[in-house]
Amino acid sequence: MTDARIIPLTIVGDPTAAACVGDFCEIPEHHEQAVVNARLDDDNV
Amino acid sequence: MSEPIKVDIWSDVQCPWCFIGKRKFEAGVAEFGGEVEVEYHSFELAPDTPVDFDGTPVDYLSDRKGISRAQANEMIDRVTGIAKAVGLDYDYDHIHQTNTVKAHELLHYAKSKGRQLEMKERLLEAYFLNGEHVGRIADLADIAADIGLDRDDVVRALESEEFLADVKADVAQAAEYGINGVPFFVIDGKYGVSGAQEAQAFANVLAKVASEREAVQ
Repeated sequence: MTDARIIPLTIVGDPTAAACVGDFCEIPEHHEQAVVNARLDDDNV
Repeated sequence: MSEPIKVDIWSDVQCPWCFIGKRKFEAGVAEFGGEVEVEYHSFELAPDTPVDFDGTPVDYLSDRKGISRAQANEMIDRVTGIAKAVGLDYDYDHIHQTNTVKAHELLHYAKSKGRQLEMKERLLEAYFLNGEHVGRIADLADIAADIGLDRDDVVRALESEEFLADVKADVAQAAEYGINGVPFFVIDGKYGVSGAQEAQAFANVLAKVASEREAVQ
């Protein structure tokens, strides 16, 4: 069994930011809301 | 003059958040205003994908992830909308889902020629915007020639797997950092930023590193 070494990093920023994990790329809910807001802006609603 | 802040970025060529995250990171760097040195590293999201995957991204998502075609289409529509918000016109109708190991080898080849940043941008454009194939050696050589690299030498390097060990070393280093998703940004070797963050988040951490450097001088 391999003994994976972990190099410590201080994680900063939004922990829910969109990322691809494995072969799946999730879209957090706040991103969907951002798109809706952008469309409303585009439509000048 | 102070040294530029080093940013190591783990990313895959067919990761939609990596291209979106790249644009947001670039905006964050512009907002920060200081000097930054970027190096891209390889991360294979789906190393078992065949080079000539026979199907569309919707086929890929529904066959491999077991989600309905309607859901897959909705997901693609949403990510396309988010990409558009940062100025990227993703063209999922013409994307060629493939294996990206050769694209990663090409990025290492380009790094050896001092052209990695241009190659990264060109490969992401090829995959998401232009409908080009980024898995086959001949197609990759054409793309490399497009930025001025020697086509024949690229073919030689990719056929001989000259840079495969560098790709695997990047993947191993990602594991050492505990990285399991991309894009992932390691800033000054100590701060980790995961995902397609807003530009302000990148600007903030770069400013933090700069102020820490000033404090020790």
